[in-house]
Order: sequence, then C-alpha cells, then structure tokens
Amino acid sequence: MSIQSIATLVSAGLHPASGEPRHCRNDSLAMTLGLNLAESISAEIKVLHAGDKNNPALPNYLALNAKKIDVIPVATNVNIVDSLATHLTNTDLILTGSRAEDGEDSGLLPYLLAAKLNIPLVANALVIKPVENGIEVLQFLPKGKRRSVTVQLPAVVVVHPLAPIELRFAYAQQMSGQIVAQTTAVQSNTATSKQIQWQIQAAINKPKKLKAQENKSGHERMLSAITSENKGGAVVNEGSSVEKAQVVLAYLREHHLISF
Amino acid sequence: MTDNHNNRINPRRPFKDTASGVKRIVLTTAPRPNEQPHAKPIRSREKNNAEQANILVISHSDRGMLDDHARQTVAAAAILANEDTSTDVTVVALILGDLRENIASCGADQVIVMPEFSFEKFQPDLELANITAVIERLKPTKILMPDNFIGDGDLGRRLIASQHTKTAATHVTEIHVHHAASPHAAGRKIAFTELPDIVLLAADTVDMDLPFVGSAIQSTVQNENTGLQHGSTGSSQKSTSPYQNLGLKTIATEHVALEEADLIVSAGNGVNNVATFERLALALDAAIGASRVAVDDGKFTRDKQIGASGKTVTASTYIAIGISGAVQHLQGIKDCRHVIAINRDNSAPIIKRADLSVIGDAEAIMQALINAIAEAKSPALQSSALQSPAPQSPAQQEAA
Repeated sequence: MSIQSIATLVSAGLHPASGEPRHCRNDSLAMTLGLNLAESISAEIKVLHAGDKNNPALPNYLALNAKKIDVIPVATNVNIVDSLATHLTNTDLILTGSRAEDGEDSGLLPYLLAAKLNIPLVANALVIKPVENGIEVLQFLPKGKRRSVTVQLPAVVVVHPLAPIELRFAYAQQMSGQIVAQTTAVQSNTATSKQIQWQIQAAINKPKKLKAQENKSGHERMLSAITSENKGGAVVNEGSSVEKAQVVLAYLREHHLISF
Repeated sequence: MTDNHNNRINPRRPFKDTASGVKRIVLTTAPRPNEQPHAKPIRSREKNNAEQANILVISHSDRGMLDDHARQTVAAAAILANEDTSTDVTVVALILGDLRENIASCGADQVIVMPEFSFEKFQPDLELANITAVIERLKPTKILMPDNFIGDGDLGRRLIASQHTKTAATHVTEIHVHHAASPHAAGRKIAFTELPDIVLLAADTVDMDLPFVGSAIQSTVQNENTGLQHGSTGSSQKSTSPYQNLGLKTIATEHVALEEADLIVSAGNGVNNVATFERLALALDAAIGASRVAVDDGKFTRDKQIGASGKTVTASTYIAIGISGAVQHLQGIKDCRHVIAINRDNSAPIIKRADLSVIGDAEAIMQALINAIAEAKSPALQSSALQSPAPQSPAQQEAA
C-alpha cells in the first residue's frame, strides 16, 4: 500500500524569548517533512489545526509553505482527540511534532490519537522513506545511535526535534495561502485518560528535588559533616605501563563498554 | 616525606568515639571508624498489620546497567514508599533488557527482569502487552518511569494512552509524596497536581543518596513465566506486528556531537604528544575532548573543551588522560557513568571522581593501551574470519 494521503497536525507556538505567538518549531519540522514527502511521491497532504481560525500563529505555517490549513473548531464538551480522529480516519500517514510549545505540552496527543484510531505509532522519527507495504523510519536514539524500523500504514509518526529539515519562511506564501474552518459535528463517546486538575503558576522557583528523610542524631550529623564520604574507585599505583593498560582494558571489558 | 613534617600535628589524627559520643584522640594509627563506610540498612518495613501495596518502576537497561535517570526513578519510588507510614509498600523494578548489576542501592525491593526487551529493538506492542500483564498482576498504586529517549518515554506514553482509568503526568520535574509538578507552556509555567497514578519522571529530580537500601530480590521465576508465555505467543504476534526492525547503526564518532558521544577520551596538561593521543582515540573509536589548559595551549580547538566554560558531556565512559580535575572540569563530566583517570599525580582531584585511576606516565600508558587494543582486536578478526565460513556452510547445504 503506497501513501495516498498525509496529514500533519500543527499547533500554535510561542516565541521562546518574547512569548509572541508564532509557529511551533517541532510541528513545523513535521509539517515540512510531510510536505517534502508528499511532493516526492505526489500524495495528497492536509495541514490540520484544532483551535481558533484567527490564531495569529497560523499564518506562520502558510509562510512555511502550507498552501492551506484546515482548522477544526474545538467545542468545550468534545475531546480534542475525538474531533481530530474523525477528521483523520482515512489518512494513511499522520505526522506530528514531538511536543507543543503552549498548553500542557505533554507529548501525549499522538499516542492518544493512535490509540483512538487503533493504528501503530513510531516516535523520534528523523527521516521517513516510503517503501513497499509501508514506510521506513529512521529513529533517533541517544549516544549517537540510530535505528531503522518499518511500519505498516496507516500510522502516526512523531518527528524528533533533531530531524534534518530546513525551514524556509516566505512572506509571499503567507499572503497566498488560506486558512479554512471545517465544520463537522463530533460526538465524544469514548473514555479518554482521566483528566488531571492542574494548578498552574509562573515558573519562578527551581523545582525541588525529592530527598530521603534522615533521622540522624546530632553526633551522626556532625560526623557526616566533617568526614567526606570515601569516594573514588580503584587506584592502580604499581606495575609497568603494559600492566596498567591491561587494567584499563579489563575495566572497559568488565562493564561491557567496548566490544573487543 | 612524612618525616620532614613530623612537627606538624595531623588535623585528622586518629580518634575513637566513646559510648557517650565524646571524641578521644588515640595514639595508635588505627583507622578512623568512619573510613570504612558501614553498610546501609535495608529499608525498614515493619508496620503493624499494614496493608500491602506496590510501587512499580519500569525502565529499560543499557548494556546490563541502569543509567542515572533510571536509578533516580527507582530511588524516587523507594523514597515515596519509605514516607508512606500507613501501608507496607514494596518497590518493584521491572527492567526491560538484561540486568547485570545489583540495584539494591537505589532501593528496589523486587526486581523483575525481562531480558528479551532490549532498548535496541523496537517492539513497543509486545513490551506494552507484557508490562500490562505485570501491572494487572501486581496492581501497583503508582507507576514511575523515566521520561527518556531510550524507549521509556515512548513506552510510558503508550501505557498512558492504554490505561484510561489512571491519571498521568509526563515530564515531571518535581515529585513529592503528595504532589507532582511538570512544566507547561515550554517551561514558562509550572503546573502542580496531586501525585498521579502514572508518572514519567524527568532527569535530575531526585537525590539518589538514600539512607537505606532495598532487598532487591530478583524474581527469575516470574521473568521466565512471562518470558515463556509471551515468547510462545510472541512468535505468532511477530508476524502480525506492524513494526519490523531493520537494525541499529552507530554514527561514526567524528560526526557525533561531543555532548552525544558515548565514549570520550579527554586530554589535559599531562598529554604532551597529541599524535599518540589521537591514535588512542582512533583505536578506541572514541570522541576527543580536552580540558581548558590543553585548549588554551592550542593543542585542541575550542569546541573540544569540556567543563564549565566548555561542553557538558553525558558519555557512559570518560577516559581523562593527564587531567587533574579542577571543579570546573568535573562539572562538565558530572553525568558520566564510568570515569577512568590516567594521571601522574595520585592526589589529583580527578582520582576522587574516577572509578578507576591509573597512576603513571600518560605517554607510556597511552602507547601500551594502543598496543593492547591492537592485540585485542587482531585475534578477534582472526577468529571471526575463521568462524565466518562455519555458519555459512550449513545454510548452503540446506539451500542445496
């Protein structure tokens, strides 16, 4: 099955320094990846935003070469995952950014969407390549590792912030593009994850670390204050340099840090 | 050397503590009682007819070990369990991938290892089915997972999406007995909530220094059971799984950013011959770092500098050659798991930080290391060359 239709989800972002509304960087990467992919295999692409049609952040996506943005209005009684899911039922490939820049930005939406649509999900995608019977995704892993996986379509792919994609901003495209409001009656009928009541405040103080309580006597506390804990590992003083080199190699082998 | 300074009174001269806690100076050279750190006690769980409960920690292992982030998550569970005065809480660590170390020091009471789910292989559907089975069996009150990139952040979100009845929070930067907080709006705001059922914990949110250890009973039976159960169904599931692994690849070290490198050799003032040092880095396939002094001397470019004014690295292995280890440098390597120091001075601060210190001339030891690595690599090549026709021949016979 080849890719017929691609959808990318975009959210409203905020500028990291000024807090001005603008495109969300992670979502722009996913959108540009989708636009490039759609162009190369001549698939249909849809850019979706759930929220307000007049959001000042949306024209930014037009400038980043989205020809048209479909806006799904969010009703207060309908879950956003449900309304997105009804618009995405016949989509082969759904691309999202890894994390939003405003609101809860938990990175959970693609997972809830994939669970709702009952389709596979691949996260941390850097490169997407269409192959027979699906897509091949290069995944980011830390420590300079990358992993290739194939996944059957339809699928949700979450694009990693390090994806090698260049964003191009053009004012002419912003002027020529259009933002269209969609109207579809959606009924929320499924159980979604239990909602959490958040108490939101400005992030001024550093988060406090969790620390174990210790019931020490005054004498013990004095002792721990005047003696430093015996840190440091094994020290090799003796032996020739060849023996010392063998000690280093043995340590590396013992902890499986080298493979020879 | 000590003979020259006999007239000085050793400020840390030996003493003993009397029963009443009074310090008495002794005239012998007996070691101080605190020099051998006495073993920490196992967390006391003696509560009168308390109910039993579990806290589950799920994490992938990396080469048979837990990284600091995962250890912090286990420690968080242990602290939460310890603060609970009404129930007898067991900290169960479910480790995906093999485990070759004892994690009692982070407070785990029970350890369930599922060696078939290494983080290197992408099999989220099987992993989710297995951890859901464990959750149904243990019915934990809380589930803690590190929010990382080696699969736990991904698996945790899949778990949250599949468990509709549980509350959940991701990117949690502050965890406490009764509340949790995570950043909202890209860190501009912080949101507090009651401690949810599933917590994906950010790094560096927990002080790992615990006054107790866990019993860390490794439940191999459960592991085998679940492994066999799902291993047998796994073969049938694999054909229907939408995911297929095409393999893992490692980027050549010269293209990896220093912050992302896994093995770093770093040179300081004690390295005079940069050519030898670079040959060692090549032999180990390691990234090159340097201390401020070496960079200031013009031996290395500024982008190689590690430390407070340079880069902060997270390598699992850091080999410091000829680096004394000023605090500014140690700050840059605070997240490194294994630090090996090669130094001439056995009183340098790096020796206190290093897990293994080799005292001696850097140049000679580097040369010896290069030879030892070349020696170790060459029989490996020979044996692989000898072995490689062996597995081919039966396959060819079968094909014929």
